[in-house]
Amino acid sequence: MTATATLPVAHVADHDILPSRPNRGIRYVRETALLIGRGLRMIPRVPERLSDVTIQPIMFTLLFLYVFGSAIHIPGVRYQDYLLPGLIGQSMAFGVIGAGVATATDFSSGVIDRFRSLPVTRMSVISAQVVGQVIEQILGILIVAGVGLALGWRPHMGVGGTVELMLLVLLGLFAFTWLGVLAGMLIRNSDAMQGIGFAVVLPLSFLAGTFVPISGMHAIPRAIGEWDPLSALVAGVRQVAQGIHSHGSWQLDHPVVAMIGWCLLITAVCVPLALRRFRTATSN
Amino acid sequence: MTNSAPAVVAKGLTKRFGEFTAVDAFDLSIDAGTVVSLLGPNGAGKTTIVRMLATLLTPTSGSATVCGHDIVSEADAVRGKISLTGQFAALEDNLTARENLLLMARLRGYGKGTAGRVVDRLIDRFDVGEFRDKLVKSLSGGQRRRVDLAASLVTQPELLVLDEPTTGLDPRSRQVVWATIRELVQEGVTLLLTTQYLEEADALADSIHLIDHGRSVAAGTPSELKARIGDQRVDVVAVDSAGVDTLAALLGARFDITVTPARRMVSIPAPDEIVDLTAVADLVRTSGVAVDEVALRRPTLDDAFMALTGQPAETQAADDSMAGVAP
Repeated sequence: MTATATLPVAHVADHDILPSRPNRGIRYVRETALLIGRGLRMIPRVPERLSDVTIQPIMFTLLFLYVFGSAIHIPGVRYQDYLLPGLIGQSMAFGVIGAGVATATDFSSGVIDRFRSLPVTRMSVISAQVVGQVIEQILGILIVAGVGLALGWRPHMGVGGTVELMLLVLLGLFAFTWLGVLAGMLIRNSDAMQGIGFAVVLPLSFLAGTFVPISGMHAIPRAIGEWDPLSALVAGVRQVAQGIHSHGSWQLDHPVVAMIGWCLLITAVCVPLALRRFRTATSN
Repeated sequence: MTNSAPAVVAKGLTKRFGEFTAVDAFDLSIDAGTVVSLLGPNGAGKTTIVRMLATLLTPTSGSATVCGHDIVSEADAVRGKISLTGQFAALEDNLTARENLLLMARLRGYGKGTAGRVVDRLIDRFDVGEFRDKLVKSLSGGQRRRVDLAASLVTQPELLVLDEPTTGLDPRSRQVVWATIRELVQEGVTLLLTTQYLEEADALADSIHLIDHGRSVAAGTPSELKARIGDQRVDVVAVDSAGVDTLAALLGARFDITVTPARRMVSIPAPDEIVDLTAVADLVRTSGVAVDEVALRRPTLDDAFMALTGQPAETQAADDSMAGVAP
């Protein structure tokens, strides 16, 4: 080991010597918490970032409830009760875009490089990104649900159903946030991420039975809607929150199981890839 | 405490991105307490070298130690010893200057109270006080750089790495950053500095590595490098480009000239100094070409770059819009 020259320490007084480093686990928790705090502190300062998960779903709610909804009749269900679970499912999928844009922004700004050059556990940087994004999306979903309730949405679920729904939403957000983090690291440009994200997620969310039943769609969109993961989210939330059953494919007949399956699959694929990418990716 | 080991030792450091070799068998040794500058145009590989030493990139081959720790197998220990300030002020735009510094201090391991004290001292020292509670996105380039430098110094690093610290700054802000760097150097910080400004390396560094195409093409103290060019020179600056052509034809017949059209300048080696100056001045006077300047000067690093790489650094480094693009 090397003896380096003792340097005059002008700006850091001697009694402010760094405390000795705790073990990895404690450091990981501490650093993750600090970095989550960084993300949360920014929410009120960048309201436009929240707008993706608030204004837009609210706009969809109003548009579909009061404009298109007048022409949509779903037998046996008030349209509010059909639409709101769909929007919650859609919100989870939109988490991809929020997480992707935030990640791409951090990577291109050099902030991530600075964190990576610090003696902090690298897992903490990426964990904080995921947890912070999930919290942001939860906020968005709460706002959408609140607006929905105010406009006459009446979920039919007991305490058990509510807990089940919350767990499912958390799982969905977790999976789709990881997908977004990975996409953000691969695309690395927040504008491109935003564009690509919308180009992919928006049409898929329309095919997913969010606004109208899949069963009435043309054969091609129906085939996509019957099997894409977004429709599992939408149908899953709808079944738990409203007791409305969807039909048409195995995944629509068993939406909760399908949703859990998709989320676990996405997580299992994206987490290792994202971690790998994080170790090698840099802002350049 | 004089017998210190080198702060950085790199041997055969190489980084390839696919077919492209960004850094090619680069050797470097930095003694503790000295300032070493990597000087070169954009794309020369400076940033890639710095990023390898800062553990952000893994070398393709070769090895390096920072403060005695291997940059690959002991990366975490290296991160504890160094502080990197990248090409962009890597600050969170939507946090205030003080919040950014606090975050860095807490991530370095200080408790809340100590972090606050350390940060307030840095705020004093780097004159951040007047904008400490402003969001970073509203700060000027120079102000951001000051916060950025302060953020690098929440702990006393054994090696401070500054990657193009003044790229994109206006001349006044550059002077402020230089003054800060000089203070740090006086305190004995070991500094690795990359720059594409010859003037900057000349002003700050104890030794300079000229980097081109991922290789060190020359190394030495600023005066050693200047000595390798040797002669003093006479520069003649014409008032218009037609004048430059006339002068180039006229002077080129008698001297081994270098023409820099962008500056409307013809440069002539002047081993006999005042005698050559007089000869050149006579030629210029009889030619009747209008000139802005005829001057005898010591060689600059510009000349060194021209002589050692065969290309003027000026034109290669001119494109500042590319400053952010590594390698």
